[in-house]
Amino acid sequence: MLRLERVARRFGGIEAVKDLDLDVPAGVRLGLIGPNGSGKTTVLNLISGVLAPDDGAIRLDGARIDGLPAHRFARLGIARTFQNLRLVAHMTVRENVWLAQHTLPAPRAARVEDLLAALGLAAWRDTPVSALPLPQQRRVELARALAREPKVLLLDEPAGGMTPAETREMCDLVARLVPAETALVVVEHKLDLVAKLCPRIAVLDFGRKIAEGAPGEVLNDAKVMEVYFGRGRGDA
Amino acid sequence: MNDYVISVLANIGMFSFLALSAYLLLITGEISFGQQAFFAIGAYASGIATALWGLPFALALVVGAAAGGTAAGLVGLLTLRTRGLYFAMATLAFAELVRLGLQQWVYVRQIEGEPVGPNGVDGFRGIRYVFENNIAPGEFLSIIAGLLAAVLLGFALVERGRLGSLLRLVGADPLLAETQGVNVKAVKVCAAAAAGVVAALGGCLFAHLNTYVEPRNFDIMLGVHSLAYGLIGGLGTAVGPLLGVLIDVGLLESVRVFQGYRMIVFGGLVALLLVFMPRGILDETRLRWLGARLRGRRHAPA
Amino acid sequence: MIAFLQSLIDGVTIGSAYALLALGFTLIFGVLRRLNLAYGSSILVGAFAGAAVFAQWKAGGWAVAAATLAAAVAAGVYVERLCFWAMRKGAAIASMVSSFAVWMQLEEFLALLFPGRTLSFPPLVERSVFELGPFQFRTEYVAMLAIAAALVAALEWTMRATRFGLAVRAVTEHPEAARAMGVPVARIAFWAFVLASAIGGAAAYLMASAEEQVTLHSGMQLTFTGLIAMMIGGIGSPRGAVVGGLVLGVVETLAQAHFGAAAREIAAFGLLFLLLVLRPGGLLAQDFAVREAAALRRV
Repeated sequence: MLRLERVARRFGGIEAVKDLDLDVPAGVRLGLIGPNGSGKTTVLNLISGVLAPDDGAIRLDGARIDGLPAHRFARLGIARTFQNLRLVAHMTVRENVWLAQHTLPAPRAARVEDLLAALGLAAWRDTPVSALPLPQQRRVELARALAREPKVLLLDEPAGGMTPAETREMCDLVARLVPAETALVVVEHKLDLVAKLCPRIAVLDFGRKIAEGAPGEVLNDAKVMEVYFGRGRGDA
Repeated sequence: MNDYVISVLANIGMFSFLALSAYLLLITGEISFGQQAFFAIGAYASGIATALWGLPFALALVVGAAAGGTAAGLVGLLTLRTRGLYFAMATLAFAELVRLGLQQWVYVRQIEGEPVGPNGVDGFRGIRYVFENNIAPGEFLSIIAGLLAAVLLGFALVERGRLGSLLRLVGADPLLAETQGVNVKAVKVCAAAAAGVVAALGGCLFAHLNTYVEPRNFDIMLGVHSLAYGLIGGLGTAVGPLLGVLIDVGLLESVRVFQGYRMIVFGGLVALLLVFMPRGILDETRLRWLGARLRGRRHAPA
Repeated sequence: MIAFLQSLIDGVTIGSAYALLALGFTLIFGVLRRLNLAYGSSILVGAFAGAAVFAQWKAGGWAVAAATLAAAVAAGVYVERLCFWAMRKGAAIASMVSSFAVWMQLEEFLALLFPGRTLSFPPLVERSVFELGPFQFRTEYVAMLAIAAALVAALEWTMRATRFGLAVRAVTEHPEAARAMGVPVARIAFWAFVLASAIGGAAAYLMASAEEQVTLHSGMQLTFTGLIAMMIGGIGSPRGAVVGGLVLGVVETLAQAHFGAAAREIAAFGLLFLLLVLRPGGLLAQDFAVREAAALRRV
């Protein structure tokens, strides 16, 4: 469903993403990990159309979509959350989730209510989001992304800033609520969440993919360990 | 109602159009110092329509609105890449260009032996529609009121519906809006055109009530005032800019006694007010608080 | 060709005063990230004070200059305290509108004090013309250019070689980091404002002495000239301010030479509009300035 072919993106002299191939068919859950600065957020920005690639192609269901304006990406069925949360502070929870529905031909109030209930946010429907604690705010972001019933869902550090217990809850929610046919890409630092949620993981380092596969293989891969822990920590 | 009161109310009405025009752009996140340009375009276009082309007033309104809206849409298109402060300066530059251009433009025709039409620096005399059709100031005031009410109704409908929160989203976080499928560029250009229409309508009324306009009427002062009305009155609702107009005109009238001090007082008040309420009196947060209180705290935060 | 070069020379001369105005604006924008719309009228207060001193005591150039600078700085401090220092962080537009309100205040204040609205101002030097080859040079303009150039150089030196200058550049580049390094940001902003007012006062002095008069209308002119020059050159860049001032001076002079006096303003605003549409950042835009200006959209 979603395919990145030899995608590259530069910022000035820095190659944030280099020669990247990714294939995320429908229903697949892909985790994207890597140290800070490895280009993970840039990849999400590219997939959501916020940035355009300098080289390569991005395809959705076979058709090229790179170069289209970001709102077209959204309308074609790509939704995302943001690492630093982008909620409209003075609007209520309900209004924030409603924002997703604005450009849908037939906005469905019922769906919004269902999502709020499923995410345990019903009690806060009419509370300004600025009054909510962080885990609840992240759920609002998730609700907003899910409200569009997207084909491709991108989660940017959905458990950022959360305790282990909160992380487990978020992991559960994502596992339960993301429909089976959705292609899911999760960027995360918390390896336990990624390992539990995603049967496939890709590892980035300095903009290049250095490993891809099942969590078991990838997380024990020597190259990956080196990237995370440095050289010289291996068994003698 | 005596003439004095009528003229004060008429001014409040006409400047409200300008205030609402700047407010609409502010909602979508753009600061415009130049809405007076479309006020001017509306004034001149509608004046030409009645005085030179002999069209009825209703049609003149349409002509003025179309001219203002088109010009505004064009400027909106040109300035799509221009952001924030630069956009503000661009609108200011455009408005000055319009004013300076009108100072040079001459389009005079002989109507019944008299020269009528825009005459450069000397302005546009002879917009005598109200005399020729026996419209008393009081009647014209009701026209102003009616038109303003219609525009306000439009604003109210927009604010309550999806369009309202969409506009505010574009203003608050355009990147987020894009990722929710909103074509931010299209929204901005349309909002600019709509704002141009609103300002132009005010201009049409201004031209026909005063029967004479000159480029000097449409200077930067007018533009910054229009912006200030929304900022003072608050950006949470269309009533905010109206409140701003009321405060300014009301102050003008009450300080009339101290002839030369109006700007000093008003200027100082505005400066002080903005220290304590940078988003104006009726901003979004205060409005919600007010709304919550009025609804008896049923939905107030826990 | 000669005429063109003559216009160029005249344009650069008047442009040097514009450059000073633009520098003042840039300085304030750099440390405060806000636009001071009361700039022109606050330095006009200075010019009127100088003119008053001239009228009252027939004083010489130095006394007039001192009065101009002192009054410009005093007015500047008033503006800074009310419109900028008192404002909360992030209320950038409110500051702008507030400064506009104070602009009106100051103009009315001047109108009340000086009902005649126009005062005469002593010239810098005796009016005379000297020729160099095919070109004519007006002595007072040359003097203006020399003084302006000296002031620009002095400002550049201040920014490069003094601790104050370093602090200003630090705050301009990254206020939070500067604060973390112990730079007293608010105090630096205040003194930068004072410096900007002094520079503006100098510019007003130069321009008033070239015209040999000050009028109330000059306030708007001063503000917008400085603003346009700054925007042409690129907000936040002192080099840009100088370039912008010179470019504006030349464009205005050429426009006047070919199309008459009315064309000056049209050329100035036309140039500004064109630049803002084509190159939103200005000719020498600084990264931070483009980012900041884009961020300034938050009311």
